[in-house]
Amino acid sequence: MTSKRVKKPSQERAELVERLKEAQRHHGCVSEEVIAALAESLAIPVHEVYGVASFYSFLTTRPLGRNVILVCKSLPCHLKGAEMIMEAVAKELGIGPGETTADGRFSFELTNCIGLCDHAPAMLINQDPHLDLTPEKIKQILKSYK
Amino acid sequence: MCAPDHSKNINRVGLFSYLIVEKKISLNINGINVSARPGLTILEAARENGIDIPTLCHIPDLLPIGACRLCVVEVAGSRTLVGSCHTPIAEGMVIQTHSPKVIATRRVLVELMLASHPDACLICDKANICELRRIAADLEVGLPRFRARKHYFPVEDENDRMVRDMSKCVQCRRCVMACKSQSGQPLFSMAYRGFDSKVIYGNDQPLDRDACRDCDACIEICPSGALRKPRKPGEERADKALFIKG
Repeated sequence: MTSKRVKKPSQERAELVERLKEAQRHHGCVSEEVIAALAESLAIPVHEVYGVASFYSFLTTRPLGRNVILVCKSLPCHLKGAEMIMEAVAKELGIGPGETTADGRFSFELTNCIGLCDHAPAMLINQDPHLDLTPEKIKQILKSYK
Repeated sequence: MCAPDHSKNINRVGLFSYLIVEKKISLNINGINVSARPGLTILEAARENGIDIPTLCHIPDLLPIGACRLCVVEVAGSRTLVGSCHTPIAEGMVIQTHSPKVIATRRVLVELMLASHPDACLICDKANICELRRIAADLEVGLPRFRARKHYFPVEDENDRMVRDMSKCVQCRRCVMACKSQSGQPLFSMAYRGFDSKVIYGNDQPLDRDACRDCDACIEICPSGALRKPRKPGEERADKALFIKG
């Protein structure tokens, strides 16, 4: 009886992503403490909250730097040479994806599709889109963020 | 008084619903006309009629998961292959469970699973009762032609009820589902995305000493060697050796 077995998600579950986004805005990251608190207040197991938080690339479980670089790693950007962009960013900052510079100025993250495929390869810095990237452009762009 | 008219009560759960003979649905599986109770899935209907469809994620009586895709079948009029474990039967369906297209798809799926699975059958405790290995043998999948990256995770053996080796996990989600229904408080969830997807415990931490109760539900249904009971020194491997034909 497939159709009868399916239950509607409870209100708490539906709220989860919004609450995670809110936590990310307030605390800068979704830390283990935040996850534990959310799990408690929504009556959802910790691992489930962690599962959702780890799925989305706009949510992070560790603290980020002042400026957050999100380079797109999805297929269209990949085909247009996102690998070179990642290398250029890594070379410029001296850190790999998933790391933060020692001075806390930049965090370098990879993201899934951000809907800018028509201007691939693309990245977001603090939510500002940077389009049609080339390795040469990277230095200039990063300079404008303090 | 005349006999009550039960025909109106069909599809309604009433006091005497068990008395009502529900109208059967007739469908055609592999060229044979069969009938089955409404509400069954294609997989259940096929199995009732003696047709075996391989699955890695299906657990009878629990909500369908639909993760492994091995149960795909061809349904006439459908654009794509459909997962039989989560598709309910409908009147007049024409289904092919073992057409060349279906078999080819299943083979590729198993090949992909094996390509990112550690080549550790020789020393794996569950090798002789491994569903993945049995299905690979049934589908005559040899060495996978794909050279995929493998997942490597440390073996989690802190818990004295369960040893967990996520390198061998095929992400069927059976343990997630079984734990949810067996115990009040489930232990596992899916986390991360794409190739990095993983079944996690807590904040993606190793299973600790007092994590699990002793229902063993997840170990019994794990189709690979990812979940197993700890083996005492000198104890034999589970079951007799699995002989692979060919």
